[in-house]
Amino acid sequence: MSDTPTDTPTGRHVVFADATQVAGDVMIEMEHVDKFFGDFQALSDINLRIGRQEVVVVIGPSGSGKSTMIRCINRLEEHDAGRIVVDGVELSHDVRNIQEIRRETGMVFQQFNLFPHLTVLDNVILAPRNVRKMPKAEAQRLGMELLEHVKIPEQAKKYPGQLSGGQQQRVAIARALAMKPKVMLFDEPTSALDPEMINEVLDTMKDLASQGMTMIVVTHEMGFAREVADRVVFMADGQIVEVGTPEHFFTNPQEDRTKLFLSQIL
Amino acid sequence: MTAPVLRTPAGVWLRRNLFRSPVDGVITVVAALVSAWVLYKTVRFVFVTGRWEVIERNLQLLVMGRFPAPHVLRLAVTVVVLSAWAGVIAGIVHARQVRAARADLESTSWSRARVLDLGERFWIPGLLVLLLLALTNTAGPWIMTAIAIVAAVVGRLLGPFLGRRIHGAVGGAILTIALAAVPIGLYLYVVDAVGFGEWGGFMLNLFLAACSIILCYPLGVLLALGRRSGLPLVRVVSTLYIELVRGAPLFVLLLFANVALGFFVPAGMTPSTPTRAIVVFTLFTAAYMAEIVRGGLQSVPKGQFEAAKALGLSPPRQTFLIVLPQALRNVIPAQIGQLISLFKDTALAGVAMGLFELLRVSSAITQQPDFRGQGLIGETLAFGAVLFWTVSYTMSRESQRLERKLGVGTR
Repeated sequence: MSDTPTDTPTGRHVVFADATQVAGDVMIEMEHVDKFFGDFQALSDINLRIGRQEVVVVIGPSGSGKSTMIRCINRLEEHDAGRIVVDGVELSHDVRNIQEIRRETGMVFQQFNLFPHLTVLDNVILAPRNVRKMPKAEAQRLGMELLEHVKIPEQAKKYPGQLSGGQQQRVAIARALAMKPKVMLFDEPTSALDPEMINEVLDTMKDLASQGMTMIVVTHEMGFAREVADRVVFMADGQIVEVGTPEHFFTNPQEDRTKLFLSQIL
Repeated sequence: MTAPVLRTPAGVWLRRNLFRSPVDGVITVVAALVSAWVLYKTVRFVFVTGRWEVIERNLQLLVMGRFPAPHVLRLAVTVVVLSAWAGVIAGIVHARQVRAARADLESTSWSRARVLDLGERFWIPGLLVLLLLALTNTAGPWIMTAIAIVAAVVGRLLGPFLGRRIHGAVGGAILTIALAAVPIGLYLYVVDAVGFGEWGGFMLNLFLAACSIILCYPLGVLLALGRRSGLPLVRVVSTLYIELVRGAPLFVLLLFANVALGFFVPAGMTPSTPTRAIVVFTLFTAAYMAEIVRGGLQSVPKGQFEAAKALGLSPPRQTFLIVLPQALRNVIPAQIGQLISLFKDTALAGVAMGLFELLRVSSAITQQPDFRGQGLIGETLAFGAVLFWTVSYTMSRESQRLERKLGVGTR
């Protein structure tokens, strides 16, 4: 856990601008990862190391392979070459190995993907109950704790369809946290939200970052990247173009491709 | 300030909805005349020209076939126990839902609204029961119905109590087994006195349908999952089964089971005819059910699978906890349609297999010495149609209710 409660991200860890170097423990390691969809190469030679408690924000134009990259980490997509290691466990074709990695990585989706046939609380406690075999009472206690954490305990007995988008996404975050993951993957968590609901979700994510969660966040929210990220990864055409601290990245980008992208969005 | 109440004068309403243009007017007049004529004919048939004595005299035959009189009491006991059983189940289900604190079910008291709701649900089958009772000339059925209603109410009141006292995985399993044992026990109790092969009448239609529905449903779900399985052998076998069975007419399959089974199975080992009918109905409907369920599976968004996977759920849990519940809910109307169709198809078992079910009874009784040659087939078929319609329509209504209940919080 991080000892510094302040939100100066660079103050929390020593951070390297190099994509493959990281301070302390390595949480996620990607080496020479390639991914093809038919003839289309979605990822080419991805090398990235992410340290424990590090927050990495991935940005880039649509179709650049951001989502594909983080979906490879928990095997929602299968990479075709290279290796991916999550907390010392290498992803292989072994089903048990995949299950193990999925237990340790929480994921939050653009479209929330809550289970509409279950109440909010049941959504949250489903995985602890069935995967971690947690007793019902204990799981419910944990579930309520997490719902309080994301500030919607009063919605526990409702169904996802009765909640606003921002509330649903916060439930999705609580659901992922219920497995006590070591890494959280966020796949454009605010892209499907109405503008007025974006901040409540980003605030929850900031909370999580300040508590020392290892996070990879694919997003278009540059403010969030600037404020929370330890490092920013810029991707284009399936490649990592540039990696750096937010200051470095937003004030002094090195690559032309990065400069072009930033000039288009800022 | 209250919103102004807009009342349309009758004349304006008529002009707007029925006589908007000359063509509309002609259609309205023609439709009204045809409707009036049909209504007139129907009412006349029911109350004036229809000769219903054939129904009154043969009511027992229509309802329970040639069930031996000394054992009819066992059927009455069965009806009473089944009523209590259904009441207990309704009570347990309701208690569980209240415990889950679903917003729309918070009241447990017998409010006026609840009674009205029950009335709205069951007034049509209730009318049918009254009609049947009115046609009898003995006290037995009246007494049985009264006791059955009392049993259902007692069961309904006991149900929540049972549900509260028995909980946990073991308690739940014991309760489920005990509840499942009741209909099986009743079947054995009745069959002990009167062999399955001697059952008949509308009771047989209901029994064939109930057994086939219970058996075909899980088989259909498994076939649907099999057809989407990643294992090629399972997929090919499921697909072959579905396509072969759907390619054969039900009538042919029933004939085949009746006639040709003897060529393959030694004489002493052939199951009774009603059992064979149940097997055919089950296997046939399961193939259709499988395709309906497969449609439901395809309607579940890909994100649901991904979320389940990302949480580390094992593939069977992904299927049974996440995908299947949504898939089955999405196709309730088609599923119930198939089950209603199965229920009505039980009438085919009479012609194809010689079972003495309602349709065959209906035509047989017109050949009795007292009624022969009087053209009473219209009356007997109409009576049979009313029985079939009432049950089918009740199934349909209950399915809509189920859909509404399960639709809580749909996106």
